[in-house]
Amino acid sequence: MSSQREFLRCSFRAMLRSRTLENKLSSLYKAGKIVGGVYLGRGQEAVSATLGTSLIQGKDCFAPLIRDQAGRTAFGESMLDCTRTYLGSVEGPMKGRDGNIHRGRPEKGMPAMISHLGAQVPLIAGMLFAKRMKGVLDGCVGATTVGDGATSTGAFHEGMNLAAVENLPMVVVVANNQFAYSTPNHRQFACTDLVERAKGYGFSGHSVDGTDMLACAKVIGGAVRTARDGGGPQMIVAHLLRLSGHGEHDDGSYVPDSAKGGHYGRDCIEVAMRQLAEGGYAAVNEILSWQEEAAEEVQRAVAQAQQEPVPDPYREDWTALSTKFPLTST
Amino acid sequence: MSVTYIDAIREAQETLLREDPRVFLYGQDIANFGGAFKATKGLSDAFPGRVIDSPISEDAMIGLAVGAAIEGMRPIVEMQFADFSSIAFNQIVNQAATHYYRTGMPIPITVRLPSGGTPGSGPFHSQSMEGIYAQYPGLVVVTPATVSDAYHMLIDSVKLDDPVLYCEHKFLYRWLKSKAINGDHLPIGQARIARPGKHATVVTYSAMVHEAVRAADRLQADGWEIEVVDLRSVKPLDLDTVLASVARTGRLLALGEAFPWGGVTAEVVAKVTEEGFHLLDAPPQRLNARDTPVPYHPKLWAAHRPTPESICDALRKLLSF
Amino acid sequence: MPTVPILMPQLGESIAEATVIRLDVKVGDAVRTDQEIIEVETNKAVMGITTLCDGVVSEIRAVEGVSYSVGSLLGMLEVTEEEVVRTGVDTTESMDAKKAVQQEQDSGQEDNLHFAIDGDSYEEDPSIIPSVKGLPVPTGVMGAHYISPRMRARMADMGLREADISAIVGTGAGGRVTVEDLERFLDYLEAWPSAPASPMRMAVADAMRRSWTRPLATVGLPVLLDRLLGHRRAQLPKPGLTLYLLRAFALALKEQPMTAGYLIGEKVVHPRSFDIGVAVQVEDGVVVPAIRKVDEKSLAELVTEYDDLVDRARRRRLTEEDSQGGIATVTNFGTFGLTTGTPIPLPNETLILGIGAGRKTPVWSEQVETFIPATEAELVLTFDHRVVDGGGAGVLLKRVSELLQRPEDL
Repeated sequence: MSSQREFLRCSFRAMLRSRTLENKLSSLYKAGKIVGGVYLGRGQEAVSATLGTSLIQGKDCFAPLIRDQAGRTAFGESMLDCTRTYLGSVEGPMKGRDGNIHRGRPEKGMPAMISHLGAQVPLIAGMLFAKRMKGVLDGCVGATTVGDGATSTGAFHEGMNLAAVENLPMVVVVANNQFAYSTPNHRQFACTDLVERAKGYGFSGHSVDGTDMLACAKVIGGAVRTARDGGGPQMIVAHLLRLSGHGEHDDGSYVPDSAKGGHYGRDCIEVAMRQLAEGGYAAVNEILSWQEEAAEEVQRAVAQAQQEPVPDPYREDWTALSTKFPLTST
Repeated sequence: MSVTYIDAIREAQETLLREDPRVFLYGQDIANFGGAFKATKGLSDAFPGRVIDSPISEDAMIGLAVGAAIEGMRPIVEMQFADFSSIAFNQIVNQAATHYYRTGMPIPITVRLPSGGTPGSGPFHSQSMEGIYAQYPGLVVVTPATVSDAYHMLIDSVKLDDPVLYCEHKFLYRWLKSKAINGDHLPIGQARIARPGKHATVVTYSAMVHEAVRAADRLQADGWEIEVVDLRSVKPLDLDTVLASVARTGRLLALGEAFPWGGVTAEVVAKVTEEGFHLLDAPPQRLNARDTPVPYHPKLWAAHRPTPESICDALRKLLSF
Repeated sequence: MPTVPILMPQLGESIAEATVIRLDVKVGDAVRTDQEIIEVETNKAVMGITTLCDGVVSEIRAVEGVSYSVGSLLGMLEVTEEEVVRTGVDTTESMDAKKAVQQEQDSGQEDNLHFAIDGDSYEEDPSIIPSVKGLPVPTGVMGAHYISPRMRARMADMGLREADISAIVGTGAGGRVTVEDLERFLDYLEAWPSAPASPMRMAVADAMRRSWTRPLATVGLPVLLDRLLGHRRAQLPKPGLTLYLLRAFALALKEQPMTAGYLIGEKVVHPRSFDIGVAVQVEDGVVVPAIRKVDEKSLAELVTEYDDLVDRARRRRLTEEDSQGGIATVTNFGTFGLTTGTPIPLPNETLILGIGAGRKTPVWSEQVETFIPATEAELVLTFDHRVVDGGGAGVLLKRVSELLQRPEDL
């Protein structure tokens, strides 16, 4: 990214496009147009977008998780990939075989997440490991995000330890949104702050206010730069609050008013808008025109995906192997 | 000079490392130490940086291999014992196995599973996991029983674009010897007639092929000619060869070393009953290990798995129906 | 003196070999039980190899700095017989003996299949109980009645039924007929003259085979025909004997309709209408058209209907409908000159009434107190014993006999 100004403007536009898209997904869900679940990144956009903006598609690898619409957008995922997957279009990357946030473009450095938390940590490590073997690791970064809940899994621990043992240029962002589905932090872990674990794993640890785009740009962007420059694995714990239910089927009524009304209950997009205007990074008019562009882009992506065919079970290729057996004698 | 089963595994890996720059080996204690069973002895010196020790993190080992495969590599992961792959189960069946169907990108990883029982190994170093993995779509599961198959099937496994569970039997490591590795071989997915016969068919795989052949030799004295089919790979399952054999003999015993509930032998019996009921002269039989954890003491262990005696017993009952 | 080998021990779960780093004894040294004599190193630790008994070192094979796999021979001890007994150690001699037994058991195998379970740590025990359970079917009971799916499939290919293979002596387990037996039998029959069976023959065969799956029984009693024949002579047109029988049978059944019930599952289906079939011999078979509501029609009314049906039957002009709906059948095998028989009911009927040829016989007359000549025939009734018992069948048959004695009422 050429300058801080450009970085912030890119990040913010990704946040805005993500929020607009997700609002649309929510209404499609509530209209019965989406089968399965809809999972929003509302409240996590600043964290996710600054991470995605820090990464370079075609060079870096990025394993987004459930609330990373903004990061995906910033990394270069098209809105069509999202709407096609949610609406089950056969033209989408998952062809109706997997849905919603379980999508990716592994060939473009963005693997498709599985539901098992922590599983993408060693996967990203493996991608970096391979780049090193191929001699193309220099200047590359691999990143993934997890929530506070994923930090309790064995897979997360194994993956973190392995990445550190291999001293890979890896950035792991822990978006601590205070709730894993309905489970609050105090039932999830007993350390004072998850960032304490970084030292134990052999990661450099950072904390950031996840509702503050400027702070995220500095801390997350900085950590990515450090990793890229050979500074070893980086772990960032971003503090925020999930501003939606776990999915759109969940009203999140278990989140106490004190949390909603507290510091992390503020909307990172509103904060960012103020920061852009006050810092002179973007004019209000400009932001309004971005909003309109985003709305139009979302509408187009939804309209197109909705008109596309859904999978036909009679034409589906029901094979889970790329190899076509029986093989002929060798 | 003779080649053992483990020599074949080691040589196959050496060939693969030499011929394919995308191949690397990853596992616990496999580098300088050469692996718990010496399957990678000397390879880290010969191929610096491509035979790599992992932390004791089976889940992360497979996660890393999948990531590396996405980046175009062909990793071979050594589980120190097949039993420990239970820790990696999630990455194998949910990450690696689903990847091609979900994204269209196959994951060419090979997971070596030192499988099966040896005297004194006990409950956690003796398991046969092939049935569990074969249950999942998106995985290929191979179970070589001969020295040549150990060599060729490992090479073929790595060449396949899909994830392969390569189940190598620890019991065969040093006790199974061959004068040389055969030049030609069958492809993965094709079974072999290990011993021809006409009165009953034993369908089996891995170390049990040898136990079945021993049992068949004993029954020969009574005039029975037993055909032994070595499945070689349990998934895909070569039903054609199995049905052709059952058509010849009319009687089927499915034999395996794994636990008795479900699994490969149950699948063989189900498939033959479904598609070859009209070929049967007697109800198809299964013989497996007992339904307890694998016991430690050699005497208990030997009675836990099928033996030539119990195979003969099962065959005699089958033949007398 | 016995020798005891010093072997590289298994020094951990996954350790396949260890390096000898120091020899603490030399040939000729006396050693004591549990003495550490060789120091070895694995990747995890340095350990001492100990002896299991007192003895004298007779040979050292291990060389410092060299790695040996588990089970390798590192040296030998000479040990007294008493010490062997005291400590129970395996000597070279006892191990060789075990190995010889093992090799004998394994002999005759191909080289590439040959492997031995480590004779030192594992000994085959013939008392091991096989973990296989018996098959659920005792062979002796099954015998030739069991037809395997394979045999059944082969028979279906050839259009054969169970009855067709009854002539074959089985050579399979428990005397069962195998596919090979069947094929041998068919080869044997090849030498005999044969002709294809007619469709009529196949139809009768099929009906009889199906009927024969039930427990059928036959009862009989003699019946005098003189009054009947007298009555018949006075009629115009003359009703046949079979028609008298039909009418008597229908009236008797109407009085006790349950006897003609058809058992299906746990239910007996009763007659809806007294339609009775009559067996008509035609070329290469038998057909059974049914006469409707025999109970409601007089003999005179029945003659034309009967003659028409029999005529059409012989000319093979019956419709499908003609042969349907009967609840029982009458057969007059007496027309063939036969005096008795055990006819088989149709598969969908429970009863068949048959009559043999009449013959002159002396009958005691109370009126004239002497034997007088009379015409007597055998009346038989075959029934499905699941539905009717001998007593019930007897009551029905007696009633038919009584009715035949009063032909004017028929």
